[in-house]
Formats: sequence, C-alpha cells, structure tokens
Amino acid sequence: MAAAADKFARLAALKPTRPLPARPAAIRTPGEEDVLGRLLGAGVASNPFGEHLAVRNWFSTPEFSEPSSTTLELLSRTRDESIARKTRAALEDPEKWLFLDTETTGLAGGTGTYAFLIGLAWWDAGGLQAEQFFMRDFAEEHALLHELSQRVAERPVLVTFNGKSFDWPLLENRFTMTRSIAVPKLEAHLDLLHPARALWKLRLGSVRLVELERHVLDAPRLGWHRENDVSSALIPQFYFDYLRGGPAEPLAAVVRHNQMDLRGLAALFGKINTLLSEQTSDATEIESLDLFGLSRFLQRRGESDRAHSACAQALEIGLPAEFRPQARRDLAQMAKRRGEHTRAAEIWLEIVADGHDGIHACEQLAIYYERHAKDFPRATEFAQLALAKLRRQRSVSSDPLLAARCARLEQKFLHRLSRLRHQMNTVGGVARLLALSRSGGKS
Amino acid sequence: MSESLAVRRAETSAAITRVHEVLDAFAARDEKGEMLTAVRHFPAREAQWADFPSWVHPDLVSAYAEKGISRLYTHQAEAAEAVHAEKNVVIVTPTASGKTLCYNLPVLNATLENSDSRALYLFPTKALAQDQLAELHDLTQRLENRFGVFTYDGDTPADARRSIREKGHIVLTNPDMLHTGILPHHTRWPRLFENLRYIVLDELHTYRGVFGSHLCNVLRRLRRIARFYGRDPRFICCSATIANPGDLASRLLETEVEVLNSNGAPAAEKTLVFYNPPVVNRALGIRRSYINESSRVAQEFLKHDLQTIVFANSRLQTEILLTYLQQANPRLPGKSDTIRGYRGGYLPNERREIERGLRDGNIRGVVSTSALELGIDVGSLDTVVMAGYPGTIAATWQRAGRAGRRSGSSCAVLVASSSPLDQFIVRHPDYFFGNTPEHAFIQPDNLEILINHLKCAAFELPIGPDDKFGEVDLPDLCARLAEARFLHLAGENYHWTQEAYPADTISLRSVSSDNFVIIDVTGAPTVIGEVDFPSALVFLHEKAIYIHGGQQHHVEHLDFKERKAYVKRVDVDYYTDAIRYTQVRVLEIAAAVQSSAHLHSHGDVLVRSQVVGFKKIKFFTNENIGDGKLELPENEMHTTSYWITLERSLLESLPFTVSERQSGMFGLLHALESVATLLLMCDRRDLGTAIGERPPAADSNSVPWGEGDELISLHSAGRPFARDFSPTHLQDAVSTNAKELFEPNLYLYDAYPGGIGFSEPLFRTRMLLVQKTRELIAACPCEQGCPSCVGPAGDLAPRAKEAALAILDRLCA
Repeated sequence: MAAAADKFARLAALKPTRPLPARPAAIRTPGEEDVLGRLLGAGVASNPFGEHLAVRNWFSTPEFSEPSSTTLELLSRTRDESIARKTRAALEDPEKWLFLDTETTGLAGGTGTYAFLIGLAWWDAGGLQAEQFFMRDFAEEHALLHELSQRVAERPVLVTFNGKSFDWPLLENRFTMTRSIAVPKLEAHLDLLHPARALWKLRLGSVRLVELERHVLDAPRLGWHRENDVSSALIPQFYFDYLRGGPAEPLAAVVRHNQMDLRGLAALFGKINTLLSEQTSDATEIESLDLFGLSRFLQRRGESDRAHSACAQALEIGLPAEFRPQARRDLAQMAKRRGEHTRAAEIWLEIVADGHDGIHACEQLAIYYERHAKDFPRATEFAQLALAKLRRQRSVSSDPLLAARCARLEQKFLHRLSRLRHQMNTVGGVARLLALSRSGGKS
Repeated sequence: MSESLAVRRAETSAAITRVHEVLDAFAARDEKGEMLTAVRHFPAREAQWADFPSWVHPDLVSAYAEKGISRLYTHQAEAAEAVHAEKNVVIVTPTASGKTLCYNLPVLNATLENSDSRALYLFPTKALAQDQLAELHDLTQRLENRFGVFTYDGDTPADARRSIREKGHIVLTNPDMLHTGILPHHTRWPRLFENLRYIVLDELHTYRGVFGSHLCNVLRRLRRIARFYGRDPRFICCSATIANPGDLASRLLETEVEVLNSNGAPAAEKTLVFYNPPVVNRALGIRRSYINESSRVAQEFLKHDLQTIVFANSRLQTEILLTYLQQANPRLPGKSDTIRGYRGGYLPNERREIERGLRDGNIRGVVSTSALELGIDVGSLDTVVMAGYPGTIAATWQRAGRAGRRSGSSCAVLVASSSPLDQFIVRHPDYFFGNTPEHAFIQPDNLEILINHLKCAAFELPIGPDDKFGEVDLPDLCARLAEARFLHLAGENYHWTQEAYPADTISLRSVSSDNFVIIDVTGAPTVIGEVDFPSALVFLHEKAIYIHGGQQHHVEHLDFKERKAYVKRVDVDYYTDAIRYTQVRVLEIAAAVQSSAHLHSHGDVLVRSQVVGFKKIKFFTNENIGDGKLELPENEMHTTSYWITLERSLLESLPFTVSERQSGMFGLLHALESVATLLLMCDRRDLGTAIGERPPAADSNSVPWGEGDELISLHSAGRPFARDFSPTHLQDAVSTNAKELFEPNLYLYDAYPGGIGFSEPLFRTRMLLVQKTRELIAACPCEQGCPSCVGPAGDLAPRAKEAALAILDRLCA
C-alpha cells in the first residue's frame, strides 16, 4: 500500500547511518565462495557445532624467548599476593601459553559485538605457530567458539594486548550467549598493554601495537613489513560488506593484519622479557629512552634499586632534552625515598639551575633545607623563588583551572614562609643568646 | 506512653484549630464567594486490618514486628496473596497507604525461601530508588543482611558494579538505565536473569505518552532476555488513582493484570481547598498573581505555626517563592533558616539535611518542585500550598498527601494560576472530586519508537523467526532494517551489523533522537542543552530569544546541517514568538461519526509546518515591538489526529459575521486543546492544533496537495504565555484563503512523528471533550475571552467567545 510505504520512507529510525552504495557491490558468485579460502590458503574446518574457515601458519620470527623468572615475577606482581603467586606458577610453563587477538564488529562491547576472527598463536619449534578461525557468517560463531574453547583447554595461559579489558570479556559474552558452550577457564592472563604503556608511553606517545612494532621492535630489521595493512577503523565495515556478498580481498587483508598482530604480540613479549631480565640491564645496546621507561616501570613495581640505576644509566647515556627534566625529577625523588637527601638536593639544584619551570624542585629544596639541613635562610630563599615563579606563571596563563591551582600553591608557599620566619625568630633568638653567652664568657 | 499520646492529640487538635482559623480568615475575605471555589473536608478513616498470611517466613514477620508492624492493612494482605498466587498485579492506592510493603513483602519472602531468587525494581527517577533503598536496608539489617539490595544507575561507581551484578538480590534502577546499561550487557548479569522472579514497577501512572510507549518496548526486551535465560518473571505494579490503571498495566505488560484497588489504610482528617486569586480586571480576565497569592497563603499558615510545604511548578518559581517567604521569615541570629528550598539541583547532602530538618521540626517551611512529591520521607507536615495546578489530578493528590501522612489533621490549598487548566479545575470542583476521568495512554507500536527498540533488541539477542513484540511480527520489520543495513539475516536469525551501540542514541523521553545541541558562546563555548528537531525550529531560529535556566540567550546562528545552535547570553525586555505555518492533510480515516451537521473523525495525517517569521513581544505589556521573516526548511511529520468537521449548514445557522465565526473557531480550538490535555494527562506541547478546509471529496485518501484543498492555519508557536495565534496573521489567512463559507476541520494532532496514542482516545471520549470544553468557556467570568478560555481578548474578534459557545451548543445538541 502506498501510504504504508510512505510511512516507512519517512522514518528516522530507518535512515541508514552511512549512504548506501549507489549500485550494489559486486556480488560473489557461488563459484567464488571459497575465494577467501584460496587467498589465504585456508581450509574449511568442522566440529560438532558446524563449519568455519581455519588458517594455519608457522613463522620463524619472532623467535622463542624463554621468559626469565625476573620477568615473570615483575609481570605478575599485584596487590593480592596469593593471586600473584598462582599466576606466576601458571606462567612458568611457556608450553601452556596462548597468544590471542581478535577482530571484531566494533569496539562498543556489549552483547551485539561479535568477534568474527579469532587469532591464536603459540611457541613451536623455536618460532611461532599461528591458527586463525574465521566465521563466514554469524551462523558459524558457535563452531568458532567451540574451537577456541578446545585450544584454551590445552593452553590455559592467555597472553594478549589489551585483551584483559577488551578481547576476553567480549569472548566471555559470546560464550554466555551460546547457552551451550561454557566459558573456558584460564589459569593465568598476561596482558602486555600496561607494561608496554609504562615502558614506552613517554617515548612514543601512543602505544598501539603498530607503533611499538615500528619503533620498539625494529620491524624492518626483522624483515617485517605490513604491506597494504588495513586500518583498524575500517575492519568492521569490511566484514559487514563481506557478509552482504561484498569482495573477499579486504577480508584476506584483515586476516593478514591479525597475523601481524599476533607476531607483534609475541615479539613484544620477547622485547619486554629482554628489558626486564636483570642480566641484560647493563647491556649498553639498550637505548637510553628504553632504560628510562624501564625505570618508570620498575618504580611502579616497587623495584627501587633497579629503577634508580636504570634511570641514572639513562641520564648517563644521554636522554633527549624533553625527557631530561622528568628523569632528573624521578632520580631525585628516588634518592629522597632512599633517604639520600643530600644527593636528592644536588639533583634539584641542577634542575633549578637550568630549568625555567623548577617550582617543584624549589619546593623540594625548601623542604630539604628546612627539615634536613636546618638552613632556614636558604629554605626561605627557595620558597620565595618558587613563589615568584608561580606568580609569573599565573600572570601569563589564561587557563582558569591552572590559575586556581597556582593560587592554591601560592597559599602553601606563603604558609611555609611564615613558618620559616617564625622558626628563624625563635631559633635565631636561641642562636643570639648562645652567641651572647659565648661572647660574655670570652670577655 | 499514654501521656505522650495525649500530648500529641492535644497538639494535633490545636493544629486543627489553627488550620480552621486560617481558613475562616480566608472565607471572611472572600466576600463575593469567588475566591474559595471549593472547601472539602474528608473525615478520618479507620484502618482495616488483616493478619500476615500464614505462608510468610517467620523471620520476615518478626522483622516487620520489630519495625512496629504486626498486622497488615487489608489491601496489603490482598496484594501479597495475589502475588503469591503467581498473578501479575497492579495496586492502586493513594499516597501514604503503605504500598511499598505490598511489593517488599512477597519479594523478600521469596528471597528468604530461596536465596537465589532475584528481583528488579524500576522507579521513574533516581531519587525514588534512593529513597526505597533506605527502607530496604533497614529490613535487611533486621534480617542479618541475608540478602543484598543495591541501586544501579548512572551514579553507581564502576568498581561497585561487578559486586552488584553478583550479589544484588534486589536491584533498584530506572527504565533509562535498564535500557542503556543493563539489557545491552545482559551477559554480565547471568545471576540476575537466570533467577529473575519479580519485577516491580512503581509509579506506573507516570509511564504514559512517549515515556510509557518506550517503557512498554523496554519491557518487551526485558522479557525477551528473561526468556533467553529461562525465566518468566511476575510483575508487581503500583499506580496512583487514574481512570484506567488496569488498561494501562495490561497495555504496558501485554498480559493479564489483576487490579487491586481497595484501600485498608487509615487516613487522617483532611481539608482540600481550591483558591482562585481575585480578579483585578474583569474585562481582560486578569487575576492577581498566583505566585504572590501562594506566598500569602503560605505565610498565613506559617504565622499560625503550621509546618508548611509549598509546591511550585518550576525551578524559577521555587526560587521566587523562597525569596518571598524568607523575607517574611528572616533568620534569627545564631539560628539556621526556618524556610528552605528543595529541588533537583541541590546536592544530596543538603537534601538529606532538609529532610531531617522537616522531620524534627526545625524547618518550618519548605518550597519545592515535584522533587518532594513522590516517596521521599519527610514525616508529616501540617499544610500544603500548591502554587498552580500540578497538571494532573493524580499529582495533586500526591502533593496534598504530603500533609498529614500520620498526624491528626491537615489542610492542602490549591492556588490556581490563570492558565485554562487551572481555571477549569478550580471552577469545576466536581470534575476533580468525582471519579477521576484521567486516562493514561501509550502507543508502543509507534513505528519510530518500535523500530528503535527493535534495533536494541537485535543488539541484545539475534531476532528469530518467531520473535514478537506484542502482536507485531518482528521478521517483517527486520527485513526493512536489513535493507537499511542495520541487520543481517544469517540462517533464520537477524543479527546486528553496526559498530555503534543503538541504545546510546535512543532516549526514552523523546520519540526521535534527531536533536539540536545548544552551545553558549558567550565565553568559552559550552553545551547548555539539547532540544528535539521540531522544537529547534520554533525556539532556536536565528534572532530568537531562548530562555534556559531563567537566563535569556540570543540565538546567533542555527547550523542546520550540524544540528547546532550557537547562542549568547543577553538581558533584554522581550521574548520572541515564532510564527508557524501549518498544513494538515488527511491520509487515512480510521473512523468517523456523522452527526446532524458535523463530523468527528480520527486517523492518519501528514502535518507540514514551517516557521516563517517571528515577533518580538515585550514582557508584561505583551506589546508587539517588531518582527522578522525567517527562511527555515519545512518540517513534515506523519502522525495521527482527531478532528471535528463543521459542515456548511452548521456554519450558516450561526448568527455571526465571517470574521467572528473564524475567531470563534480558533477560540474553540484553544479551549478544546486545554480540555484534551486534562483528559489525556499530557502537556500542551504533546498536542498540535490546526484549522483547515475539509477536502471537497469524501474520499480524502487520494486527494493530492493542491490550491483548492490547502488546509491552512497560521499561528505562533512559541507561546510562553499560551498565546496561540496572532490576529494579524489570522486576518491574512482569512482574507487570502478563506472563501465565504468553507467547511473547516478542527485538528487536534499528536505532536510526535507516528503519533503517541492520543487521537483514538480523543475520538472515543469526544462527547466528554466537547461538554467539558463548553463548561470551561461558559463558566469563565471574562467578557470577551481571556487566556483561560478562548485565548486573550485582544487577539480575537470581539464576539469570539460567543461564537465559540454557539458552535459548542450545536456540537452538544
């Protein structure tokens, strides 16, 4: 009926979110159905839950990296010691490790996001064995999940990059949605995102796997290049197009992308393992920036001795100018925490000497001279210097939040100054009395 | 014990005396008998008791006994039995009748008997859920914390959520959170869904119109998910008194619901007074300001040391009334304020402090928005003053119920504003005090709403061949969604194929999510609000004065493509009123009834409207101080409408000139709209009005748009003061388009795309609508029309009111 058609035409709820293609995409002919399989050398696998595509590949790089006990200890350390112990025990057997990375229909999470490609990999024969499961349609999802649950049963230690908050919860959702395949039990889950962030965020700004590969893993040297790599943002749409009979080629690229991610993940572990293993920390080939990152990571894990030496070493080798103040600040802070107040003060003095933004250092020096050196005039000097710096900062800033912070800090310094004045008066009084009595004794 | 009771009785009787003193003083001042239009006394009613049913767990009986509840009111026992018998129920009771026990008792009993049993409570607002939480916590403590009770809403911290999902036996939330936070993540809630036994829907009557239509669909999704986990939960609903609680409940739940409407709770003596501010200009129908009068009434009560709550209908009015009353009751040195405000923007701690102050009597007066209307426990106050009609009879009783919840006697005064609704209510006390005519309607199958929820449902669980929403077969609609690439058919099931998360962009409080964002660019750009598409055209056109939070803003630029309006703060002495050009075309007549010389119909219509200009109107004097033309795109909406067709013979029988007749029709429509909003419990914004010529052919379906059958109505739409149309433009319309005797259709249409279920009920209750409209106009003391009946006198031809009445006489004949 015309009126009914009108009714639907006008609905905002039916308006496509992106313009529909002017002419329908080339539809795959039945003969082309296995194009994707051919493109990838994939085969149709089947299990009691149905069929899906499976792709197996062995790679000589990255090479197996034997996890050192220090690495495992550092990576599994958490606030809950009993969990940490259990995780460490499970991690000790690299035979049980399963690298996992999925490609999904979106990043939103929730029950309507699917993992259409599940990539798995494990150490094998000195290199990496990868296995990928692809669902050609939603109906194949259960077969995929069944396969995954079998692999996890064999290798129950998961290693991922951001899988703790994304891939695995999403897969847990998918398992729950089947109502027939139980969520497989993990013995441990090692997520490399947070260590990577601690180690390289400062240096790279972004710790996306692709960035890490390029700058940290030195991909060109490994002979890796992501030729015609797909942008992650386009992946869901490629899959939706494929579902509607669109071309298979983009999906082949997605499968390759996922392979690269799996290899990158395994290589990343190798790199972290090298960095964290103690015996290598004196190796001069480690870049100063990585050392600095390592120092920050170790600080967070409470390894203050190693953190301190890594930081000092990084400064010694030479850090780019923009990281030097931060490293020195860390170094001073660590010295202070170790009770080496004089050493800390030396570093702060250096910072104040060549830095224009030394408010924090001035504050620390004011504290140092007041509390440890009992040199109140010097403490006053640094508190006043900080105050002047703050006032200058506030006068040029147009950011109301920053201005408010400055004002609060100013209050703190004014308070400190008045306390110092008071102390100088009383202590000064005592000193004068002492001097008097001494001179009296002399005369 | 007996002594303290005696003292309390003495106090309350003293309160009665003081209440009566104040009322007598009012009556004495009301020489013409026009001010106090109703004074109704409701005698105290004894409680009717019943024992706890024998199946109730002994621990629960003793927990209630510790709280001082050793017996039940009859309706509580009845409700418990019905729920125990696995029925879906809706309990209809007035405020303060112990309705929470009606659902807590069976739910807690089920939890005590089976510690896996789970329940979900839905409240229309977060504040109500918080309040119920306190009551439930008290009970859990008495039961050695054998079960977990939590609220789950936007304020719930992320780290608490996991444990709530695991350990919450009773989860208190709101429909919006269920829609965006729980259903799309149901796999995170397996414990809840696998054991979901009861769903409690409190304040059921608030789920009407757009909100109710959405809720019905959210419940469809909820039941679908529950079925997935193998559950078919029972529903326990509570509603205020409306005319059709059973209909509403069974429409919302789409199943049979047992209505329980007896009430065994005791009630204290109560007096309800309608107070109409005196007329100061009879010709123009202008009355004394109801805000000033409300403050005066409240001050009288406060002077007699009666603890008083004043309800205002907006935040702004709350602040004005608070200022007046604090000036009249200055704070004593060293003491805290005895008069406080209470509304949404206040911080939770401040609110708790005010609630405490009210309970222990340190605070003598509070000025509140509807925030204090529902549930929140502030103890019993002596008197209630309502500044303006709360909009519905149900809400009026709820507000009145804040006084005398437990004590001996109380009084509530409704001070009417000059709006047509208020005037109708205070001049027709029988409408208010009789059997309530208020109906709550929903239209869950509104396509726009339905399809949006279908997207959410597909996201939550693929849609299979047998899936249904009520009577609607889903696969048909899914095929359309697949065409638009939202879904994909794999095997037998439709799956979600978008990256985005559908629930995020679908608000339960509006039909379509096509919204304009308002950006204040006075300083650093900040987003200050959002309005829906049709309102944006009316309120946010360039050069409009947009009022937000009491602050005027000048609209600098309306970016149509990006759906953004840029505004700057200003302080001017005028407001703007958009001039809208509306055409209505009948698409399909669903039903029609022919009378002697007129016709009532309802059906599908296409409404085209365009904002063509605006007027600047000075505050207070309402002078027109300038206007401007606007070129804005036309807005087209497919919706439903009810309309009255006046035939030639009817018009010819009217002893008026053409322009008087025209004015009469516009006046009549104005009054019809007022009465319709009363009957439908809706807002004026929910309905649109237009007058157009009846198409020449009876078979109107096939009539295309054309010169001859253009249906025209010009009116200004901004109407902050209920101004419906401008006389100048009315003249234009009449002179250029109206023929000597055209047969007009008077349309009352749903102002939402697809319609929200108002038209068919209006058609059904057309006689009531017409009669009440006639009563409204006939009883209005103004001479030639005023905003309370047919619209402001200045806007209409002199005899408009007479003409409107003459038409109504013929419609009623």
